[in-house]
Amino acid sequence: MENSKRRFLKGTCALLAGASGATLLATVSASNEAKAEPSVKYALIHDETKCIGCKACEVACRETNQVPEGVSRLKIEQTGPYGEYPNQFYHFSRKSCQHCEDAPCVNVCPTGAAFIDKETGIVSVDAWKCVGCQYCIAACPYKIRFINPVTHAADKCDFCRETNLAQGKQPACVAACPTKALVFGNLKDPTSLVVQVLKANPTQRAKVDLGTRPKLFRIVAKSGEVAI
Amino acid sequence: MSALHFDTLVWHWPIAIYLFLAGASAGAMFFAVLLKHFVLKHNAYQSGFVQAACIVAPVAVMAGLGILVLDLTKPFDFWKILVFYNPKSVMSMGVLILLIYQVFMFMWIGLLFRKPIDAWCENRFPIVLKFTAWLSRFEATITGLLVIFSLALGAYTGFLLSALPGYPMLKNPVLPLLFLASGLSSGAASSLLGGVLLNANPNAKEVHFIHKVEIPLILVEIVLIFTFFMGLVLSGGQSKFAAFNAIGYGFWGWIFWIGIVGLGLSGPLAMNLFMTATSKRKWVYVAGTACLSLIGVLLLRNFILYTGQMTVV
Repeated sequence: MENSKRRFLKGTCALLAGASGATLLATVSASNEAKAEPSVKYALIHDETKCIGCKACEVACRETNQVPEGVSRLKIEQTGPYGEYPNQFYHFSRKSCQHCEDAPCVNVCPTGAAFIDKETGIVSVDAWKCVGCQYCIAACPYKIRFINPVTHAADKCDFCRETNLAQGKQPACVAACPTKALVFGNLKDPTSLVVQVLKANPTQRAKVDLGTRPKLFRIVAKSGEVAI
Repeated sequence: MSALHFDTLVWHWPIAIYLFLAGASAGAMFFAVLLKHFVLKHNAYQSGFVQAACIVAPVAVMAGLGILVLDLTKPFDFWKILVFYNPKSVMSMGVLILLIYQVFMFMWIGLLFRKPIDAWCENRFPIVLKFTAWLSRFEATITGLLVIFSLALGAYTGFLLSALPGYPMLKNPVLPLLFLASGLSSGAASSLLGGVLLNANPNAKEVHFIHKVEIPLILVEIVLIFTFFMGLVLSGGQSKFAAFNAIGYGFWGWIFWIGIVGLGLSGPLAMNLFMTATSKRKWVYVAGTACLSLIGVLLLRNFILYTGQMTVV
């Protein structure tokens, strides 16, 4: 009995030593990877003061990315009307992937089908790897992921990474916006329009207290509901 | 907002059943080891309650995995979970724990029934005897790791939900402990129920032992549920709102107070306290207490899963 106990303890210690060694190695290799930082990190600004709620962005996104009916990667949410006639107005806000720096969907995905593209910082989905456990959908605090009824994989906005961006064009929603309410660009490039706009305007991001560090910024309209 | 269908609901009842089965399997193995080492020693395999645990554990864990696979939107791609791993993902680590747990579970069950297995294989497959003899050299290691992995599996059922930052009620550090405790008690209950169904003596020493462990286990569960909700209320904001939304009026409030607190916890606790560890037990009493515990745990899994997804941050 004494002997078997000792053997068990020895075995467990060896296992623990092996496991901690493996984690250590993984951390070291991860820190090596982090050194070579890419020069592109995309972000999007939705200027709600300019948005007129025409939903041209929604239509363009659906066409460009072949998003099936019944689901959507991008929604313009309308609230209001506020104020007294004839000075009534609506408020429009964008509901789509926030491209978190520390993305809960990526952290929980068991197969690595949800990933952050190292070259661009875009949160993407590998539809082939996705098994459809819907863990990412449950984990997303912004509730913007969905199951694509055609591929049966998790789906969401990827800044047109596989469509327009791959062809060197702006994302479909940005290109379609008639009032230039959407600004897309590289955060790492100080001369880019997105950095200029971010520096010139006060912006907000959703649910920053969760520590997800989203990259969808919004310039909040002066008018609109004040809720506490 | 309907109790079973609402916008923010992602995971439906199959997940709750899966969590229940995984917890029951882990608990059954845990109690089988306890029974063997503290009550029965060498002839443990002859006990109906240990036999029941050895049936419940593999059947439950595999049925749970089956439900999990069928619940995927791409069930035929389930093998990708076994091939690709994400060390940051609680689910990925849980799959790993489940697999390793099953290996040790089958090895331990094999060793438990070594005598009858050896007797049956002696003339038919003599090679098996060599294997069981080799395996028995590592019996202590296998038993120890089985206990560790069964506890890990029990806690994992809670970690799976507590890794969801979007739902303030689920993102709760007490949840894994609560699910571990309730999983262990469901394992004990299923062993007892299975045992008496296999015509084991309802007044056997195994029953007395399990019932003695059950009283503190239920008390711990009650403390954990209290801590769970107290933590939510004291966190304030959406957490507080989620807590009152769950245990207040409405369908899930009834489930919580009548089903979980009343039937699932107070019922077995009262019966265990009423029937002291020394008094004689009858079939109906053992089966009834076990059924109440199982219903309580099943309701708890559904209650936490559904009410947890009702409130978002």
